[in-house]
Amino acid sequence: MPECAEELAGHLEDSYEAFLQEGLPPDVALQRTMCQIEGRFKGGLVLQLLKEDIMIGFTRKIALPGLLTFALAILTAWALDLAHVQPKAIFLANGLFLPIPIAWLCLLPFCGAAGALISRRSGGSLPQRIAASLFPSAIMVAVLMLILVAGFAISLFVADSGWNWALAVPAVAGWMLSYAGASAMCLGLGAGVAERTRRTRATAI
Amino acid sequence: MSSVGAQIKRGSAELAVLTLLAKHRLHGYEIAKRIEEQTGGILRFDMASLYPLLHCLERKSWVKAEWQTLPNGRRRRCYRLTAAGRKQLAPLRAQWRAFFHALQSVTGFQNA
Repeated sequence: MPECAEELAGHLEDSYEAFLQEGLPPDVALQRTMCQIEGRFKGGLVLQLLKEDIMIGFTRKIALPGLLTFALAILTAWALDLAHVQPKAIFLANGLFLPIPIAWLCLLPFCGAAGALISRRSGGSLPQRIAASLFPSAIMVAVLMLILVAGFAISLFVADSGWNWALAVPAVAGWMLSYAGASAMCLGLGAGVAERTRRTRATAI
Repeated sequence: MSSVGAQIKRGSAELAVLTLLAKHRLHGYEIAKRIEEQTGGILRFDMASLYPLLHCLERKSWVKAEWQTLPNGRRRRCYRLTAAGRKQLAPLRAQWRAFFHALQSVTGFQNA
């Protein structure tokens, strides 16, 4: 719901409850509540709702914080690479290996928390804050799926392309598990901690 | 109870809201309700006048709004006075005090 609509809906909700507590029957209370929106205010309100609704909410509350989280995650990975901190590799059958970027995963909660906080400052709701913090994982899943689709397309149209489904699928699945799945858990953990800290502070105030 | 002219209400609305927010962090409905209660119904805000005023004060950075979850589980946009708003309050109060004193000396009205 656009912010201004949610704010006004809250006001109307409180108004309605106050009328009920005064002893008014529900239909009269509803009528009196809805009388508060009339005339010029109604027209102005509709325009404001349209303005807010047109992608501003998604851009400000999910996309931008999500992209910032992604940028932070990439910068973290790059910094670890510069410091020669390599992912651990678990070797599997058929020459495949599962990369486990332990150091990167340990730092990801901070990125997730940052994304959730930025989304919250833009007025994001809980699902929007979570979506913003999990954005990097979503991008990773999208990229890996794209690799699979691209490989499929190449294997269809290019003879002897070298694309080996028996190797590609397990490899992508391994990357999905470690770089997308595990990262989503770590990012979500950071967002959860940020949410808990915010609630604790709000209660303390 | 005699009604107070619209222009007087408009001018005093900012002072009333800022004074209230100096003491408490409140959402829109609570602001309107407290002002109505404390003025005995003389100053009454409807949604059409309250929220544009609050958003205007927010644009001036005199108040800041944040979404908070209340104890009843509902989400409300709560306003609080900023440092800039607090700086504006004292001169605003002084202006109104001077205005009322001037009015008092002309009309001979005594304070209630």
